[in-house]
Amino acid sequence: MAEARELMQRYCDGDAGAFRELYALVAPKLLGYLVKMARERALADDLLQQTFLKVHRARAAYVRGADPVPWIYSIAHRTFIDETRRRRRAVVRVGEVEELPEVPAGLTGESDDRRDELRGDPELVTAALDALAELPAQQREAVVLTKLDGRSVAEAAEIAGTTVGAMKVRAHRGYEALRKLLGRAAPAAPAKAAGGEP
Amino acid sequence: MSALDELSRLPPPAPPELSPALEAELAHLAPVAIRRPVRQLALLVAVSLIYSAGLLVMFTVRGDLHELPMGWLMSTCAAWLLGFVLPIALATVPRAGSMMPRWRLAGIASVVAAIAMVGLGLALHPSGPHSYALGWAGVVGGYGCLANGLETALVPVVIGTIFLRRSLPVGSRWVAAGLGAGGGSLGGLVLHLHCPVADGLHVGLVHGGVIAIAALLAAALVPRATELR
Repeated sequence: MAEARELMQRYCDGDAGAFRELYALVAPKLLGYLVKMARERALADDLLQQTFLKVHRARAAYVRGADPVPWIYSIAHRTFIDETRRRRRAVVRVGEVEELPEVPAGLTGESDDRRDELRGDPELVTAALDALAELPAQQREAVVLTKLDGRSVAEAAEIAGTTVGAMKVRAHRGYEALRKLLGRAAPAAPAKAAGGEP
Repeated sequence: MSALDELSRLPPPAPPELSPALEAELAHLAPVAIRRPVRQLALLVAVSLIYSAGLLVMFTVRGDLHELPMGWLMSTCAAWLLGFVLPIALATVPRAGSMMPRWRLAGIASVVAAIAMVGLGLALHPSGPHSYALGWAGVVGGYGCLANGLETALVPVVIGTIFLRRSLPVGSRWVAAGLGAGGGSLGGLVLHLHCPVADGLHVGLVHGGVIAIAALLAAALVPRATELR
């Protein structure tokens, strides 16, 4: 990640172009992470913008020669958690009024937006996303970071603000749960089609 | 799991254009002075030591100082100093190549420092003819020492908080505990050289307890200032 370090340094020195390059370098993977976590493209876009605004405002915290990517991921992680909590509180307040306003798709709800992102085998990808959505947030995050984004367990633990041991346990449990969910989902379709046992 | 493999092989989505808020910020982008953790640590330690020396002069040095074994006096001073520098260094200086604080180690160092100094005080507390032994009364009435210790801890905690303000996305509570424990240990050092009460209960529970109380207070109050939200 030498490039990210160099760009961050130039950006802190007042080079706006370096910020744009840093955004182009980090934003796609970070957005992928946020889409998998939030399961709503519009929300993920919003979280991405919030994350980079926070990065911008906290850029003086940069340490020369340090890799800024785990720090940026960590800010995104924190922003996602705060947004989840804010939405949960908002749902409680909605319940108090007589006429319910239109509520956008929730963090774990289905959304048509994400379908724009699906390439490869859409059925497999959808099955994986659906299974992922059923995991508790911590396990989902562990699986996304370690299995899908290819980050090391130590890096994922640093991003999530937990210990390496806890991250290993979360990733393992998440992976096992996914295996069960996907294993359950996969044979169900042919069994139904054949009229056999589920 | 082929479904998961398929998902991991997906190309990353195209990010949106920068928001108007970010564009506006970039339009007048100015250079910023970035954080220099080692320099900040050196400054924090130097200012805190000068401040604590000033407080010690104000409180006056304990009357039985010359009656106490020099080896114990110096090694305990070194232990208090280690308890001051180590948690604060872990809380403020990230490992090489990283921006993230070593919050876990800072947290562990706080707990170890508190337990070690309480234990050390309870176990080793030599006295001289002019020392005081108050028993439980020295613990119950130890709020003067507690206040003096926390007063000493205030400066390192405040300086550390200023250095780390709005920069910690994770682990801010443990980092704060590290700052508090370090400050509390400096408070303990001042008490070690000031307070003539030499029984184990007072030295262990009150002087050592300053570390635990300062760490808990910092963990409760400081994250509001250091969290990046």
